[in-house]
Amino acid sequence: MLNLGLDVATTAAILFIVSAGLLMVFGVMKIINFSHGAFLTVGGYASVIVAHLGLAWWWGVPFALAIGFVLGIAVERFIVRPLYARPLDAILATWGLGIIVGQIVTLIFGRGVQMVASPVEGAIPLFGVQYSAYRLILIGVALVIALALGWLLNGTRLGLQTRAVIMNEALARGLGISSSRVRFMTFCTGAALASAAGCLITPLASVDPNMGVPWIVGAFMLVLVSGSSLLSLAVASIVLGGAQVLVSTFVNPVLGGLTIAVLAALLLRFRPEGFARG
Amino acid sequence: MKKPSSFRNARGATALALLLSLAATTHAALAADPVKIGVPVGLSGANSVVAPSVVQAAQLAVEEINAKGGILGRQVSLEVADDGSGAAGAQKAFDSLIFDKKVNALISMETSAARNAGLPIVTRGKVPFIYTSFYEGRSCNRYMYVDAWVPDQQVAPIVDYFMKQQKAKTFFLIGSDYAFGRGMLDFTKSYIEKQGGKVVGNEYLPMDGSDWTSIISKLQAAKPDAIITSTAGGAPNVTLTKQLRAAGVKVPYGNLAVDEGTAKSMGADAQGIYISGSYVTNIDTPANRTFLAAMEKRFGKDLKTPNDLSVPEYEAVYLYKAAVEKAGTFDTAKVIPALAQVSFDGPRGKIQMNKQRHTPLTMYLGQVQADGSVKVIESFRNVDPGAQCPALK
Amino acid sequence: MADSAYALRASAASPWRRALLAGGVALVLLAVCSVVLPTFLVNNLIRAFLYAAVALTVDLLWGYTGILTFGQSAFFGIGAYAAGLIFTHAGFSLPLAAGALVAGIGAAWLVSRAVGWLAFYHGASPLYASVVTLVLPIVLVQGIYSGGEFTGSSSGLSGFDSFDIPLEAWFFIAGAFLICLAVTAWMFVRSDAGRLLVAIRENEARCEYLGIDVSRYKARLMDTCAVIAAFAGFLFACVQMVVAPEYAGFVFGTELVIWVALGGRGSLIGPIAGTMLIDVGSAYLSGNLPYVWTLLVGVAFVVVIVAMPRGLAPVVAIGARRALPRRRRADAEPVVFAVAKAREHGGAEEARPALSIRGVQKHFGSLKVLDGISFDARAGELLSLIGPNGAGKSTLMRCIADGAERSAGSVEIGGTDIRTLAPYDCVALGIGRKFQTATVFESLTVAEALRIARHRVAPPSKWQRSPVLELPQPALDVLRLTGLDRMPGRECRYLSHGQKQALELAMVLALEPRTVLLDEPTAGLTKQERTQIGEIFVALSSRYRMCLLLVEHDLEFVQQISSRIIVLHQGRIVMDGGVDEVVNSELVRSVYAGESHAAAGTQEEGRA
Repeated sequence: MLNLGLDVATTAAILFIVSAGLLMVFGVMKIINFSHGAFLTVGGYASVIVAHLGLAWWWGVPFALAIGFVLGIAVERFIVRPLYARPLDAILATWGLGIIVGQIVTLIFGRGVQMVASPVEGAIPLFGVQYSAYRLILIGVALVIALALGWLLNGTRLGLQTRAVIMNEALARGLGISSSRVRFMTFCTGAALASAAGCLITPLASVDPNMGVPWIVGAFMLVLVSGSSLLSLAVASIVLGGAQVLVSTFVNPVLGGLTIAVLAALLLRFRPEGFARG
Repeated sequence: MKKPSSFRNARGATALALLLSLAATTHAALAADPVKIGVPVGLSGANSVVAPSVVQAAQLAVEEINAKGGILGRQVSLEVADDGSGAAGAQKAFDSLIFDKKVNALISMETSAARNAGLPIVTRGKVPFIYTSFYEGRSCNRYMYVDAWVPDQQVAPIVDYFMKQQKAKTFFLIGSDYAFGRGMLDFTKSYIEKQGGKVVGNEYLPMDGSDWTSIISKLQAAKPDAIITSTAGGAPNVTLTKQLRAAGVKVPYGNLAVDEGTAKSMGADAQGIYISGSYVTNIDTPANRTFLAAMEKRFGKDLKTPNDLSVPEYEAVYLYKAAVEKAGTFDTAKVIPALAQVSFDGPRGKIQMNKQRHTPLTMYLGQVQADGSVKVIESFRNVDPGAQCPALK
Repeated sequence: MADSAYALRASAASPWRRALLAGGVALVLLAVCSVVLPTFLVNNLIRAFLYAAVALTVDLLWGYTGILTFGQSAFFGIGAYAAGLIFTHAGFSLPLAAGALVAGIGAAWLVSRAVGWLAFYHGASPLYASVVTLVLPIVLVQGIYSGGEFTGSSSGLSGFDSFDIPLEAWFFIAGAFLICLAVTAWMFVRSDAGRLLVAIRENEARCEYLGIDVSRYKARLMDTCAVIAAFAGFLFACVQMVVAPEYAGFVFGTELVIWVALGGRGSLIGPIAGTMLIDVGSAYLSGNLPYVWTLLVGVAFVVVIVAMPRGLAPVVAIGARRALPRRRRADAEPVVFAVAKAREHGGAEEARPALSIRGVQKHFGSLKVLDGISFDARAGELLSLIGPNGAGKSTLMRCIADGAERSAGSVEIGGTDIRTLAPYDCVALGIGRKFQTATVFESLTVAEALRIARHRVAPPSKWQRSPVLELPQPALDVLRLTGLDRMPGRECRYLSHGQKQALELAMVLALEPRTVLLDEPTAGLTKQERTQIGEIFVALSSRYRMCLLLVEHDLEFVQQISSRIIVLHQGRIVMDGGVDEVVNSELVRSVYAGESHAAAGTQEEGRA
């Protein structure tokens, strides 16, 4: 029972970490960045590079943030910006970008599955059960990310401008806020976050050129039901992630993999705002 | 040979090597047309990690044969095509090899999906096909022979060892949800029960799944004496092992679907895993030592560790040569029956595909050591493949 | 103005004669190729033909109608698996094959209905629809994976028997399937009904307000495309004798979109060419360069989406047009306008008020935009709604034409309560709404746009173009007055602002409404155009006995033409009476006190 609860909490944390970057981009720009998976992959390979250089694993995180940010600059400028008025085409173009990044990664690193050693090995005893230490750490990481993003949005000027653009872009522009700058910063931050998330999940999974793809649809559905609110994303991660764990455990892991997508689609049908306040 | 992740463009090197060897073989071709052997293999997709080793094994075999005069006086050339490790790609690859390149025979390993997709094309094209990959068994086609193991040969060593030496009575089975995973574990379950053991859990995750959390939780609740897994190659193997170790699972762990190379690359997490197969690099026979030396010499630092998927390829090329020489012709109708009658002494021992298109094999039970090498614990000679294709001859 | 038909005969070469001829030639070519081409190419082309058929359905849905779908692969997979499952588990025979085909098509149709329910409803966002089509193949594939031995799981099913016919025959069958589909689709999109697809893509809201149930239309279109894709999948399974989950998965679904995008969306021939070239090309090329090929396709795809959204087809078409000798485009045929028979209006209908508003309220959260709005409007009235900005005028208009909009109160159109009816149902009750910004269909011609407006009253043909378009007299009057009747073939994007306004008005009038809602109809018009349109409004209400409800800012205009004025302020009606009464009232002046001096000055003049 406690095991199940910890499973739910850690799954929710992982989902939150992976989806936070996508939420930023969707909230401000109202487009779905389908290259999110590619950024996850880039982050994964960042930790591979770090391991190859012989540094401690934790260096991978800032490295991934940096690479993600820089890549985000190029992507925003050349692909996302021209398509701002065509959101469906933006989905396609970012998906195409994901393909391109996957192939380039394959050409450089080879198709093989890489392993990155976990910084924290093994399980720790917690209230009588043995639970994976790294997964527990990720709960903390998710909280840190949530707090950091919350501070960025609520405590800084750029964050204020971002929130204004989220609520009403035309009005924000009318008030003199440079929405293109906000969009640019948001996309780069979202990309950096995605990259960092990719790095953070490597101790639990393997690194290969397509490692990001299975996460896209789940993250995407979570973001759709969350609108543009971090709090909604947290709620969605817990509720839908919990449903996934429950279905995987008690019914069938195959169906468990589908839970998030199916539940989110049904939820949106009846309540298009999802978990966000209506 | 524990190398960290490589930046080298392995594919480029293989392609270059292939081109060179192709150029070499065509140069050496006499006035007669070369014999073409088609190798449809997963250069991209799930099998792409192991495909280069398979291609290398085929190349070595072809070069050795050509150096001794070829087959029936004709030089041999290889045609490699990418089957994408799946059905759609396999159809294109088989089509291309049989109808465009007009190969004389197909010799390769594929995923079950690719194999099933290619068989109708093989039937239409009437070309001999030697399937060199271990698989779930019972795939039968008039034109196909198999020189790798089936569950009837691989499962028993591990289960027997666990039950006898580790005194395990309860087992937990984990697999990837596809034909091979299910086939292996179904056989394992019935074998365990036949030996008096008990299966306390049998869980599957989709092929591309990487989150074993709920299954691991169930495992810990069931407290089995041993675990046996059969997951898809590549990522699922790696993620399961990692997550098991991260959760602190320490019971004996037998992996039916991992090869030496992947185990090595798993690093410290792989230590202690039991594997069972028809080939490990430490097999101490003259044939294997010669083979390894030749591979080392031919490929040098580009060598991909020979493994249980690539060595059958090497042997299959020789088996084809023997069959053609016995039949005296390349005509498919005569070569097919001849393939059951010939044998070859290769790195894995004597291979003869005379048991309903399959071959008895010597199986090795090994355990992965701390340095990534595999220590052979026991070997079983001449394990019978069982009744795989009763309907065929 | 005499009610007379324009006496002209349009010369109409039957469009389908040309299409059938082209189809026939293609079939002959196909038969020849089936024996002449090498086996390898024949194999590849069979596959490519079937993929192209599915790509065609993607083009119909996405290129023409604007529904981005990743899910056509799922329907293809359903058709294929129906064949695979039945042939594997029950064996093969002609009755079983027929049964499998029916089962595949039936299953695809059912799934499409479910998708339609989920994705197409009034107010659904296009993004959500695309999401549903993305989730569909994922769910289907997971379902196949969990089917274990029965569905073959990830290995798929193979080794089943199928029709014992030679490969050349399959080549002809697959090719003929594609050709028939292409010809039919071509005739449909060229027909009058086919133009609706483009109209939906360009301006869905406008279509709804023209009485077209857009969601139902989209769902029907998807049903048809699902059935076609399932048929293609069935043929595929029969010829390949293998089915695997990747044929039903979303990677294949996205490949279809990529082929359509590269070939040229919205052009039919583009997706066919794109699919065949890329699929056959990859059979020859990807063997040599597995990663580079995919990379090239990916790069081409991104470049096309960002820089050349119409794909490569227009580029090729322009090149071809320059190379070939010039010929008159056959579809630029003139359309002739004629008068439609007026519908019978009983006297009883005049007795009931055209519009009856009772206690309508609208709030956004705690902000009340409309409160306690009640009034009646009768046939023959020209009622103007005025008030300062933010008074709620446009909101009220929306509440009248869309049953779901208001928060409380009741609205009756012609005596019928609209409850929560969607705009297209409100239109059926006799109301038309002209938007503030002229919203017409940029890519369509004047005549095509008007024909779309007639959709509810006179459903257009699904396979041909009628040379005559019948419109009610009021609409014809508007067209004649503004000169639009002389340019039926001009694309709407080339019209001036005033002409677009007039066209939209004509479209609304083409619905034969009894009540027309006009949202700032004079915005952006020149003085002369304003006078013209004022005359039209007066004629509509006095001669044709329509009830007109105008939202206006131009008080001079309002004064000249209205028969009655309602003044809104902060969501409430503050005054409701005749023109003189309102114009001279103190209350109204104080409400407008913050307004421009010009308005106050006008009122002074009016008084004096």
